[in-house]
Amino acid sequence: MAANPADLSAALVLTPVPAADWLVVLPPAWCILAGAVLLMLRKSVRLQALIAIPALAGLVVIDALLLAHVAANGPVTMVMGRWLPPFGIAFTADLTGVLFALAGAVVALAGGVHALADIDASGRRYGFYPFLLLLMAGVSGAFLTGDIFNLYVWFEVLLIASFGLITLGSEPRQIDGAIKYAFLNLIATTLFLVTTGYLYGIFGTLNMADIAAKAAAGRAELPLMTLATLYFVAFGMKAAAFPVNFWLPASYHTPRVVVSALFAGLLTKVGIYALLRTLVMLFPVEREELSFLIVLVGVATMLLGALGALGQSDIRRLIGYVVISGIGVMLAGLSLGSPGGIGGAIFYALHSMVVMTALYMAAGLAGRLAGSFDLNSLGGLYGRSALFSALSLVLFFAAAGLPPFSGFWPKVMVAKAAIDIGAWWLAAAVLATGFLTTIALGRVFALAYWRPAPMALPVQTMPAGALLPLVLLTALTVGFGLFPERLMALVQHAAQGLADPRAYIGSVFPEGK
Amino acid sequence: MILVLLVCLPFVGSLAAVVLLRTDSRVLAARMAGAVTFVALVLTAVLYPSVRDGGKVRLDLEWLPQLGLNVTLRMDGFAWLFAMLVTGIGFLVVLYARYYMSEEDPVPRFFSFLLAFMGSMLGIVLSGNIILLSVFWELTSIFSFLLISYWHNNAAARDGARMALTITGIGGFCLLAGLLVLGHIVGSYDLDVVLASGDLIKAHPLYLTALVLILIGALTKSAQVPFHFWLPNAMAAPTPVSAYLHSATMVKAGVFLLVRFWPALSGTYEWFMLVGIAGISTLILGAYFAMFQQDLKGLLAYSTISHLGLITTLLSLGSPLAAVAAIFHMMNHATFKASLFMAAGIIDHETGTRDMRRLSGLLKYLPITGTLAMVASAAMAGVPLLNGFISKEMFFAEAVETHADSVLDRILPYVATLAGAFSVAYSLRFIHMVFFGPPPTDLPKPKPHEPPHWMRFPIEFLVLACLVVGIIPSLSIGPFLHSAVISVLGDRTPEYSLAIWHGINTPLIMSLIALVGGAALYVVMKDYLAKCDNGPPLFRHLGGQRIFERVLVTVSWKWARWLESNLGTRHLQPQLRLVAAAGFLAGAVSLYLAGFSPKPLAFKDVDPIFAAVWAIGAFCALGAAYQAKYHRLAALVLLGGAGITTCITFVWLSAPDLAITQLVVEIVTTVLLLLGLRWLPKRSEKVDNSVSFSARSRRFRDFLLAISCGFGMFLFSYAIMTQPVPDAIASYFLDKAYSEGGGRNVVNVILVDFRGFDTMGEIAVLAIVALTVFALLRRFRPAPDSIEKPEQQRIQNAFDAERPERSAGDTVRDYLLVPSVIMQWMFPVIATFAVYLFLRGHDLPGGGFAAGITMAIAFLLQYLAGGVRWAEDRLRILPLRWMGFGLIMAAATGMGAWLLGYPFLTTHSQYIEVPFIGKVPAASALLFDLGVFSLVVGATVLILIALAHQSVRMHRVRGLDAPKAEEN
Repeated sequence: MAANPADLSAALVLTPVPAADWLVVLPPAWCILAGAVLLMLRKSVRLQALIAIPALAGLVVIDALLLAHVAANGPVTMVMGRWLPPFGIAFTADLTGVLFALAGAVVALAGGVHALADIDASGRRYGFYPFLLLLMAGVSGAFLTGDIFNLYVWFEVLLIASFGLITLGSEPRQIDGAIKYAFLNLIATTLFLVTTGYLYGIFGTLNMADIAAKAAAGRAELPLMTLATLYFVAFGMKAAAFPVNFWLPASYHTPRVVVSALFAGLLTKVGIYALLRTLVMLFPVEREELSFLIVLVGVATMLLGALGALGQSDIRRLIGYVVISGIGVMLAGLSLGSPGGIGGAIFYALHSMVVMTALYMAAGLAGRLAGSFDLNSLGGLYGRSALFSALSLVLFFAAAGLPPFSGFWPKVMVAKAAIDIGAWWLAAAVLATGFLTTIALGRVFALAYWRPAPMALPVQTMPAGALLPLVLLTALTVGFGLFPERLMALVQHAAQGLADPRAYIGSVFPEGK
Repeated sequence: MILVLLVCLPFVGSLAAVVLLRTDSRVLAARMAGAVTFVALVLTAVLYPSVRDGGKVRLDLEWLPQLGLNVTLRMDGFAWLFAMLVTGIGFLVVLYARYYMSEEDPVPRFFSFLLAFMGSMLGIVLSGNIILLSVFWELTSIFSFLLISYWHNNAAARDGARMALTITGIGGFCLLAGLLVLGHIVGSYDLDVVLASGDLIKAHPLYLTALVLILIGALTKSAQVPFHFWLPNAMAAPTPVSAYLHSATMVKAGVFLLVRFWPALSGTYEWFMLVGIAGISTLILGAYFAMFQQDLKGLLAYSTISHLGLITTLLSLGSPLAAVAAIFHMMNHATFKASLFMAAGIIDHETGTRDMRRLSGLLKYLPITGTLAMVASAAMAGVPLLNGFISKEMFFAEAVETHADSVLDRILPYVATLAGAFSVAYSLRFIHMVFFGPPPTDLPKPKPHEPPHWMRFPIEFLVLACLVVGIIPSLSIGPFLHSAVISVLGDRTPEYSLAIWHGINTPLIMSLIALVGGAALYVVMKDYLAKCDNGPPLFRHLGGQRIFERVLVTVSWKWARWLESNLGTRHLQPQLRLVAAAGFLAGAVSLYLAGFSPKPLAFKDVDPIFAAVWAIGAFCALGAAYQAKYHRLAALVLLGGAGITTCITFVWLSAPDLAITQLVVEIVTTVLLLLGLRWLPKRSEKVDNSVSFSARSRRFRDFLLAISCGFGMFLFSYAIMTQPVPDAIASYFLDKAYSEGGGRNVVNVILVDFRGFDTMGEIAVLAIVALTVFALLRRFRPAPDSIEKPEQQRIQNAFDAERPERSAGDTVRDYLLVPSVIMQWMFPVIATFAVYLFLRGHDLPGGGFAAGITMAIAFLLQYLAGGVRWAEDRLRILPLRWMGFGLIMAAATGMGAWLLGYPFLTTHSQYIEVPFIGKVPAASALLFDLGVFSLVVGATVLILIALAHQSVRMHRVRGLDAPKAEEN
């Protein structure tokens, strides 16, 4: 077979790619490059941070530019190796993906800065920054890819990188948590892979736009419901949905605090993102049929998460449960399917990325300042730092969904969407979750911050610079709480783009299919 | 515009006070706060002409159209009156607090919270959008929480704050839900639209839902039974806070809400029953409890609860006249109660105690304050010529009227009179016990004296207001009240008269009975009250507070724990079981519901050899699982067998490329695992067969689950594989691999070109795995029983020791000498083979991945043959550099396409002429493949080194007897 010029146009992209399209692929590529450089600098601890933090800042800039581009021009696609879709791997950035990617990058940057104070030299020699960058490669890739097998690859990247991060200290406790985390997540990832295999067997294609179009065309005779349920289990497990969520409280409190912070901000939200992508965009009819199951799972997740938070005395475990209860709210939004519900879920996910990361950071600082993570022996934090206490309080209220912080709006969106279809009990559950979270976190504040320290514990000083990322993240939650209008418009567009993926498909197949 | 300024100004002031936080001057913060409140007061006052007689000021800014939420601020007569209350009393409280707060308190924080609270309260009052209203509602809860716990070192303050937050928090969330439902009914969140759609709302099936939710919000805020108990506990707050939040404004927010929604929600039977029961029981219980309080502020708190109950009761009646009385009483109560709180604060400030059992005869020391307090208490008791009297008369008049014929309605006059009597009794008690009687004996501060004049000024002002309103009501409050009433009731505004004297009628008689009865009651109970414990006799141990705490503990501790231990688990196994079960159910149930019926199994053209290979493979896999627990080595060997089966399958199905890769991967993993086995602790080989029945059944259950999952996966795979294969991309790959991918080996072209990005991700995974293994092993401490030298080495060393001509270690060194020499010689051969595999990869089986692993095998053999020291003396491998280089190479190749204007990872293929070799295919994919090669070598060798160094470090540990191995 010789190269035939007439063939080329059927197989290859022949027009030059505009430079702006490169933004789509840059986030993971950039992270991999930076991660590779950091790998080679294992022992230069100082240099690592000097490279990693600007690299993460660069990632934020790239994602921000991409967001501006997508918001202005609609979804952007680049197909690797200039193969036409569906043959090559397509990267397609739509609003949902880019919003998640940007929030993830911000969280990672905050984590990277916070790590300066939290991760010691040995932790850095064993790869904190390379792991972080490669984790971000996985996270960004997952948010931006338009190919379902490629999504699996990025899942694997981020899972393995997170495993590297969780074992960073090699303490027995951490290994124990890491084993639970890794086993269960590997199983979920495997289920994802198996399901994707089935999906390929059914559709003969892996490109998500292609699948969305084909699923819409020939729904009746295909066992799509099974695919949808299997994806729901696989991603639900990743997202820590009840009843497959106990790996989270069993493992999140073990690693370095900044690692917990990054996990809380990034990993479960990748699961939520994947659920949005598969259930809302690929299998909307199946999602509709499953909505009652999803709502049950969501309500159980949010209520049990909030109740779980009430029963904890280790503040890191407590925050783990708060993370879970937030997942329930997102699932509730997802189950509703209306732009308000999906938009609320996206908004809540973005809010949760920022706030949960910040909460873990605050917990870490609290542990340093008061010498313990246990509510029975914590105390006197207000006296040690009023600014830190104020930031924590804002974060607590934000996590509970009180106005005027960012958690309030998505809850209102979800509650309103629920009431609009007559499911006022769902709205009540969402609000009751907020109430229970208020009690749980109010208790933390009263005990750990206001109460005088019940016993003298060895304490450390506030590390310089550790407050900076906390201030940044808190400013975000206050900012989006006070001025939610821009973001709310964006998430509504994003939700519409998911529910009606014509623009997405059109971006992948410009000539139509 | 003034409205925006009015709402924003306090918040700005609050932030400004935060800036002052560092300064020590309490005067500065107080002056700033005073200025802000005064400006707010003036701003409110100048708006009066526009709201007079039903006028309205309205401001609309589009905000969140998706939610139907706009920034709508509106002020009508009622909102104006309330805003005056908020700003006016706010100003007085700031003035009072300026003197009340002590030097040690962080005063700027206090004023910051206070101003922010005032802003939130104004927000509630002025919101023209019900969602916005609930936002401000929550804010008042937050700032109340912060203000109550202002003295956070005090446990009572912390507990009171948490309780208030919990109760008003649940109310806030219910209110939000209720308002959302209300908005759903009406189709708009605009307050004016909601108020205009009263009939629609009352006829809607969701009316009761909305009503109950909104009522929970209002009743919690206004401390109505059964949610009343947070208010007395909130008295741990500084007195200015109690005067401002917990008597004059925040607790009024609940009744404010009831008035606000009165046109839209009231008048139904449900409204009457729900609001009425809450109001009447609060009225009577609050007054009853108030009589038995020993704490001054406690007495005032219960009295506040009772008066709020009175307002609620009025609102429940649904008659316009009652609504007028309710609005009027809200204002009157705020004036006399705030002044009483401030007086109590002065007493506390001057004497150091608020316990009425210790206070006595203070009139001698505090003559002016005492007199003022007497007037204010008289207003509270409803004595004529004071404002409390007029609104109470209106209440009595309404109580006598019949509104809805029910038991509630019939008992109301008696309850009202009784509550009136109680209120006379506690007012009398307040005055008599504190200001009269013998001089006090055991005060913490022995010499009380009058406070500075400006601290007393707010009380003087408010008491004056009580008098003026009480004596000339229609001239003083009349027009303002009228504007407020019109704005709420519209054309239902009734005729009413604010006169003091209506002639001798039933209400007047009820008042007289209450006055006389109350006084008599006090005289009878005086001696008991002077000594009794805090709290009313019958209910002393059965407070809502106790129930609340019990519930809270039950929910937060018992239930949460129970749920966690019964539904949750911290162990791995149950979680695995759950995941497997969930996965199985997800697949099976949906397939079953979809009516899945697989085509019958039909075996034809079965190749017996292939089948036999698979039988062996399946046996190996099962055996590996069976042996995994106690015989790791056997399990590993069997695992290898299963791997070989896969390799053979690949060959069988014409995928030699995959087979080669799989084979080398199998080799490397098996060897690495074997090396790792040495460090694992020994397992007792005795299988414990004496396990209990339950353990056995558990195992059996897990076994069944595993079988089901496997079978389910088989079924679904079968279902899909028997479907006609939709050919979308597979044949395309076959067609284009050479023509556009520049290679005949389709698998390799897919890997490095069509799906090169997957490969890039996967090599990143490999790099991370290697680094993780390295990091883990670096700090790995083997189990004690595996630190010993292996048995074989011990025997060999013992053999050396027995023979004089041999020195220790000779046998170990010479062991398997010939094979190891061969292995050393193999290095160049294998390396060449790796290069060969690499170069031919694009057209024939091979490629970067296989080549990389082959190269790694070459290194592996050197380590095996010569030992760590020997190998590292001769070879210097920097695996991290290899890995880094590989990743950069792969990524950079992809980025290179940018220069040509093509998408990421576009390859460029051509043949180049190399001397002596001839034409060599040189796709840019080759560079990518080089990256893969480099990374695979680096990653594998890194793992190898990590394992190998384990033995070196163990020697060192043993040699030096050091407790801790050196960390690199």
